[in-house]
Amino acid sequence: MKLSEVEPGSVVVIADVHGNPEVRKKLLDMGLIKGAEVKVVRNAPLKDPMEIEVKGYNLSIRKVEAEKVLVVER
Amino acid sequence: MIRTALAGNPNVGKSVIFNALTGAKQKIGNWPGVTVEKKEGICNYKGTEIQVTDLPGIYSLTASSIDEKIARDYILDEKPDVVVDIVDASNIERNLYLTMQLMEMEANLVIALNKMDLAESKGYRIDVRKLSNEIGLPVVPMVAIRNEGVEELKQTVVHAANSPKKPAIRYSDEVEEAIGEMEKKVTKERILPEYPSRFVAIKLLEGDKTILEKAGKRTEV
Amino acid sequence: MDFAAQIAMARYERIGEILGRCMERVEKPESFSDMIDKVVLDRYLGIPVFLTLMWAVFQFAFSVSAPFSDAVDVFFSACSDWAKNTITDPQLASLIGDGIFGGLGFVLVFLPPIAFVFMALAVLEDTGYLSRAAFVMDRAMTKVGLQGKSFIPMLLGFGCNVPAIMATRTIENEIDRKITIMVNPLMSCSARLPVYILFAGVFFEKYAGAVITSMYLLGILLAALMATLFRKLVFGGKPSPLLLEMPPYTVPTLRGVFTSAWVRTRVFLKKAATVLFIGAIAIWFLSTHPWQATEGGSVVENSYAAVIGHAVEPLIRPLGLDWTAGIALFAGFMAKEIVVGTLGIVYGVGEENVASAIVSHFTPASALAMMVITLIYLPCLATIGILRQELGGWKWTGFVVAYELVLAYMVAGIVFLGCKLVGVA
Ligand SMILES: Nc1nc2c(ncn2[C@@H]2O[C@H](COP(=O)(O)OP(=O)(O)O)[C@@H](O)[C@H]2O)c(=O)[nH]1
Ligand SMILES: [Mg+2]
Repeated sequence: MKLSEVEPGSVVVIADVHGNPEVRKKLLDMGLIKGAEVKVVRNAPLKDPMEIEVKGYNLSIRKVEAEKVLVVER
Repeated sequence: MIRTALAGNPNVGKSVIFNALTGAKQKIGNWPGVTVEKKEGICNYKGTEIQVTDLPGIYSLTASSIDEKIARDYILDEKPDVVVDIVDASNIERNLYLTMQLMEMEANLVIALNKMDLAESKGYRIDVRKLSNEIGLPVVPMVAIRNEGVEELKQTVVHAANSPKKPAIRYSDEVEEAIGEMEKKVTKERILPEYPSRFVAIKLLEGDKTILEKAGKRTEV
Repeated sequence: MDFAAQIAMARYERIGEILGRCMERVEKPESFSDMIDKVVLDRYLGIPVFLTLMWAVFQFAFSVSAPFSDAVDVFFSACSDWAKNTITDPQLASLIGDGIFGGLGFVLVFLPPIAFVFMALAVLEDTGYLSRAAFVMDRAMTKVGLQGKSFIPMLLGFGCNVPAIMATRTIENEIDRKITIMVNPLMSCSARLPVYILFAGVFFEKYAGAVITSMYLLGILLAALMATLFRKLVFGGKPSPLLLEMPPYTVPTLRGVFTSAWVRTRVFLKKAATVLFIGAIAIWFLSTHPWQATEGGSVVENSYAAVIGHAVEPLIRPLGLDWTAGIALFAGFMAKEIVVGTLGIVYGVGEENVASAIVSHFTPASALAMMVITLIYLPCLATIGILRQELGGWKWTGFVVAYELVLAYMVAGIVFLGCKLVGVA
């Protein structure tokens, strides 16, 4: 499942991160690494971007980037 | 005079600490050729002058953005006597990620653990002494908006300048094996000998573009 | 797994080990910050809250600061009058009164809105709302080649492009920031409004409101178009990822807000102000010299400025404009506020009677062309000074000036010819 498809309120675990090397590196640096727990907090009023909680902080991420993050149920 | 640089993630309280340290004595300019603000100032601790340079707020040191490049080049090339790594205690896990990378660069680090008040209200109980022992670096707890810890920070910086510490940081065996092998190559082929070899090895393995370019200019990796 | 992922994991693993030994986490009930966000970022309330706050920021930046600007203006006008009345040599009096004091006043009136913009931004930044504002607007702004954080600078552009361009300092991504700066002058600042009011009022009477509104919309449309184009053609089409931290809300401190505003305002004083001041003196010289021919700076028709006005006439002739429009536009390069006043001087009628005078020099079609050119043609001198400061040199500034000139000419041409086609003279 892609992170972009996760409903607000759910908690999931990251399985893999794709995307072009630069963006991927950025996601990894921000704590979106394999095994990390992610809570989807909400979608923006215009549906994109989405707000997630990871590594104890809140992060806004666009759907295009969230599509590159594969997640599984906890 | 001691030359220090302030490094840290965005929004950790770097500006507040910079202002608390330097007061009105600050110079604003731009980093050469780019439109990123550069702030410098001077402060004094018991007769020792401390020059403070504010680096852009960054999450990582991969030099993928101009901010990261400025910060990294400054630390690598200007070699400040002390790098003050400002860590937001209320967001400590992600903040320490930059600390790990600063340690990889073998900078002489002092950790300013700011926003202790927020960390507390978030339910984080941090044992500062233990933390300092665990990473082998001086850690100064601070609440910068209330001016708490500013004098201690100055004192610690002066102390660190006189007795630099560069504790090694070790990762899992698998990762260390890869780093070790690359490091041998880096040393043998004298790739970027002016930088710490372990740091160069890690960056080459990470596929860091700017380091690859720099190295490639002189040798074929 | 590749090394980049491996080492990122290894670093976080190491952090986990360290924190495991020196930190405890106590569960806390939902934080205050989360509760605020439930309202402020709500699916339905999010946008109204955002718009209300943006309205407040705009008012604070331009309405609350206005009396201070007026005071600066009054003060330097008084200085100017004093100089002209006390200095006996008329040329020196004009230099000191109009050139130096006029120039100082021209530069320093920007100080209040800049300081107020930066105070407002500091409050938004320190409270934590700035990243929420970007979160709310990002979707809409990416559609037009910009990003969430571009919204505030673009909005401020309706007031004045100078503080607006300085406000792009909140955008971390260099490319996004450059694009936002480069299209900002297309947002129709308040100094352009008198020109629209004059021409629309005279030539489109009943429809004046609609015509003026369409100028603003045209500016927005062109900004969107150019931003998209620049991202595609100039910056390789790569959208920059937005990974924005949403910090918990905090109460800003007065000291923090003032320091941040002061530090950034000082940059304007130190850098842009000198360029502007020199530019102001240069324009004073061009519009009052040769001293003999202009009879002591009072007959603009004989000045170097008029020479320039005549020189551009062949260029603007196809748009139905003559050399008087050329001089007014040249003056508008200094500050768009003085376009109307300059027309008055050129026609020798004073500002109150310009309306009747322009009827014989413009037609509805050329009036529209004139408005379009005023909207687009050149960033004013102050904006150019700021562009140079914020884009880090003349290269990109020159690019902005060039594209605006070309765009103004093209759009004005299309509008003028379009009018002819549908039978508007
Ligand atoms: N609660 C708390 N807030 C702080 C502290 N230090 C800074 N802040 C706040 O953190 C925010 C970011 O500070 P700033 O210095 O601008 O961060 P910078 O982006 O690192 O320069 C501001 O709203 C400050 O008021 C602190 O010790 N405690
Ligand atoms: Mg700051």
